[in-house]
Amino acid sequence: MADSSADCVFEAVGLKKVYDDGQIQALRGVDFRIQAGEFVAIVGPSGSGKSTLLQMLGALDHPSAGTLLYRGASLAERADLSSYRAREVGFIFQAFHLLPAFTALENVQMPMFETPRCAAERKLRAVELLRAVGLEGRLHHFPAKLSGGERQRVAIARSLANGASVLLADEPTGNLDSESAGLIMDLIVRLHREQRITLILVTHDSGIARRAGRILEVRDGCIIADKLNIAGLSN
Amino acid sequence: MTFLAVVTRGLLRRPVRTGLTIVGISVGIAAVVALVGMSRGFETSWANGMKSRGTDVVVSNMGSALTPKPFSVSVVDRVKPLPHVAETCALLVDLISVEKADMMIVSSREWGGFSWKNLKVVSGRLPSDAKEKAVVLGTTAADTLQKKVGDTVQLETAELAVVGIVDGGAVVENGAVILSLPLYQEITGNRENINVIDVRVTPGTTKEEMSELCQKINAVAPEARAVVAGENIRNSQAYRIIRAMSWGTSLLAVLVGVLGVMNTMLMTVFERTQEICVLLAIGWKRVRIVRMILYESALLGLLGGVGGVLIGVVGVKLLVTAPIIRGLLEPDLNAALLGRAVAIAVFVGVLSGLYPAWRSSRLMPSQALHG
Repeated sequence: MADSSADCVFEAVGLKKVYDDGQIQALRGVDFRIQAGEFVAIVGPSGSGKSTLLQMLGALDHPSAGTLLYRGASLAERADLSSYRAREVGFIFQAFHLLPAFTALENVQMPMFETPRCAAERKLRAVELLRAVGLEGRLHHFPAKLSGGERQRVAIARSLANGASVLLADEPTGNLDSESAGLIMDLIVRLHREQRITLILVTHDSGIARRAGRILEVRDGCIIADKLNIAGLSN
Repeated sequence: MTFLAVVTRGLLRRPVRTGLTIVGISVGIAAVVALVGMSRGFETSWANGMKSRGTDVVVSNMGSALTPKPFSVSVVDRVKPLPHVAETCALLVDLISVEKADMMIVSSREWGGFSWKNLKVVSGRLPSDAKEKAVVLGTTAADTLQKKVGDTVQLETAELAVVGIVDGGAVVENGAVILSLPLYQEITGNRENINVIDVRVTPGTTKEEMSELCQKINAVAPEARAVVAGENIRNSQAYRIIRAMSWGTSLLAVLVGVLGVMNTMLMTVFERTQEICVLLAIGWKRVRIVRMILYESALLGLLGGVGGVLIGVVGVKLLVTAPIIRGLLEPDLNAALLGRAVAIAVFVGVLSGLYPAWRSSRLMPSQALHG
């Protein structure tokens, strides 16, 4: 596990999340640090708290207790969480969550509305991103006309629209066949390496987890194992 | 892609529902345009009628009926000597059923009075004297009654010869049966009464002097009320009732439009909950989500408003050709009314979108990960 304070992207101390007035304890006080450029896989059974942890990291929800620091500053005290979500992190969802009424090109432009880019610049950037994920021939296709793998590529391009330094992926291959899943993972890992993006990925798939340099195992809202994966680090 | 394109696409995703909502608003706005335009047209028509008769001040008693209450012809003698009065013309105006027309203006005028002078004879002639059992018909009245010079027309129990067709220069004049006052008084047995005095003032009379004249007339003739031409109908209780009813009905129609838009926008927010959460998750500010919903509802209102104005204008144009009101009024569909109708529609749109927008602003981005 890397341990340089200067490069620390996330630091969680006693992070808790409860639902229904405390009846459900999704996270029971977890502590961890994630360094810049790491590829961390979060594994664990369904309901263990993996996705809740990802939501906290992406500021999609507030912790009930504890501290979560992003590059040394508390996320809870940040006034502009939407700006954090728009610029600092990129989300890749299991169900893709593309907007069905918009083409691939338009979907990728969506996060850029919160930047000073003009319409022409947004379009240009979206074309570049879609080209980077191999979809230059599908720019004007609506999600319904794309395969699962292609939709996830669009989602990946969207997550990178504003130059995020952290990618948060929630079961990114969960809705794909094994061939598409392999291609998508290759793409995500390539982007992580080439752009030195910190990659935090929730998965059930032990094969995918083994590609990560570090594996956090979550069970019943607690991190029960935090180990380096030499095979992943060497890849 | 612009933000407006995002907004437009939001509406186009459910074209049938969007279309029906626009139709709903359009009907409400068409009601505003038609009812308010007609009620204002009522006022305009009478004002134009007076203008074409060359009237500056009208002496009448506008009660709760559409036509003024009768008063003694002796009032004319009290009005004539007042300063700034150049000419007077006594009238007995009625709104009655004439043969196949359910409602038609009968305008009987003091023989030789100035109100006769602006009538342009299209065919035939004017009556030769006050006692000739004859009428002239305005062009629209002749058309409605399907009469020409040489035919007869039944007024109450009297059968009168149509001796001329005239152009009176205003819808109410062209829609009227015009005859001499003594003849109509004889037919109706109303020998001593009139219900309007048209007053023409001396040239150079200022507005202030006209107002003073009205006060003087009111002092010498308390049974009637003098007002500057055009204002008399506005003071009519009947007109006020018509105006209030037209606005009341319009507001009800608009309320239906509000509920329609609100329902559509709420459905939109419910259906697109996950999409809205995804937009929040990828960094959209809540205020942008609120703007998106409000722009969508405002756009619905705008389209409904434009549609409503078109339907209203076409509807009113068709309505005024209906025999029951033909020749009675000309709708007042001025640009201000049409602009106000569109503005009302946009306001309705924004108002209806407030609650759905508030609902959307309370969604949590974490909901995007579910499902």
